[in-house]
Amino acid sequence: MNVILLSLLGALIILDKYALGEFGISQPIMTGTIIGAIFGDVLFGIFLGAMVQLVFLGGLPIGRDIPPDGQAAGIITVGSYFLLRSGNSLGHSLFLAPLLGLAGGIIGGVLEVSARRFNEKLYVRFMDHEECLYICHTTGLATAFIRGLCLFLPLFVLSALLVVPDACPQITKDTLTIIGISIGLANSLYLFVKVKTMFYLFIGGICGLVLAVF
Amino acid sequence: MRLSLGRLLKIFWQSLFIQTSWSFPSMQSMGFLSDLIAGVGEGKREEIVRTQKGLFNTHPYMVSYIVGAAVRAYDEGRASPQEIKKFLAVAQTSFASAGDLLFWRTLRPALLLLAVIIGVHYGIAGPLIFLIVYNIFHLFHRVKGISDGYNLGWDVIYLLKTRRFKLVREVFEAAGAVLSGLLLSLVAVNIQYLLVIPLMSLFMIMLTRRYSAVLIIISVFLLVLIIGLV
Repeated sequence: MNVILLSLLGALIILDKYALGEFGISQPIMTGTIIGAIFGDVLFGIFLGAMVQLVFLGGLPIGRDIPPDGQAAGIITVGSYFLLRSGNSLGHSLFLAPLLGLAGGIIGGVLEVSARRFNEKLYVRFMDHEECLYICHTTGLATAFIRGLCLFLPLFVLSALLVVPDACPQITKDTLTIIGISIGLANSLYLFVKVKTMFYLFIGGICGLVLAVF
Repeated sequence: MRLSLGRLLKIFWQSLFIQTSWSFPSMQSMGFLSDLIAGVGEGKREEIVRTQKGLFNTHPYMVSYIVGAAVRAYDEGRASPQEIKKFLAVAQTSFASAGDLLFWRTLRPALLLLAVIIGVHYGIAGPLIFLIVYNIFHLFHRVKGISDGYNLGWDVIYLLKTRRFKLVREVFEAAGAVLSGLLLSLVAVNIQYLLVIPLMSLFMIMLTRRYSAVLIIISVFLLVLIIGLV
């Protein structure tokens, strides 16, 4: 798929993060499904999205706190994987895509602060010209879209052009699963486990182990 | 006094853009004003902008309750702009904290865990279940919030003590705990999966000691890098 089209799609999806609706479409598990379907491998898209989702399960956008951009990390990881896969082995692609995604998540958080600083200028303009309310407000959509495009385009171009030598490190799907489950468990225990929910955790743990073994 | 379907839809539509122009000094101010004007009508636009501009921040799904109640106050015309501003100051904090607890801390992570577990085992069913169930709750609050806010007026704050918030949160907290345990179903019966124990402990320590989210993501980055190199 064309890198520019993928970047445009990513920038559109990322609007769901806060600029438009917040329906949950931008969550990594959803973007993994969408991008996976576009590239013809939904199941692997879901797997990658799920692993990124577990990493960013605890990122809570509360008040002025802006955590790393988990939604952008999901789009970058899955998009980069499929772009890398066209010229590289499975192991190399699995190694590089999460690295690009995690780096993209951190850069995305920084860019989000910049986008919101730009929105400050829109607010100042609105304060001076009250009749411009709708124009200043809806310009925020463009800010969010451009932020997404600035983040995705360079990383997707890099992924499309990158051909790594055989000596480059590789990881397996199992290794990625181990890392995903580790941080996912830590995040979910941190969020949900209290004295009154210990019993439910125990029941879930027993069922989970039974499912894993059989 | 009833809110017409047309006005309800206008408020609902504008509420989808509540955070579009989010900025540090004003947060959702422009989004809130646009939503309020959509409900009250262009006739009172200048008055609303003049008297209600300034910092506004609440949970994006909960803004419907606040706008509904504020539109009612403007329709009745009994409250002064200062009284409406006082109500907004109290309501935005209360609904922000309730919405953060209900959606960001409980409902969304629990449903995402469910989506991950079902998605990895059974494919597309996981993401679809998340999208449908999450948006049933999300859209319920967006739409019902407007009509409840309008019908109850300033008493809408007392809704925060009802089952709509408390029971749903308790149910999803329990579900989240079950799903945390069920996450173990993704583990394969393989010796290398024992690595989950020390890695999970490491991340747990970082989370409980409140390390910054950026530092935790950098740790995951380094972990992938080190494992790849080894």
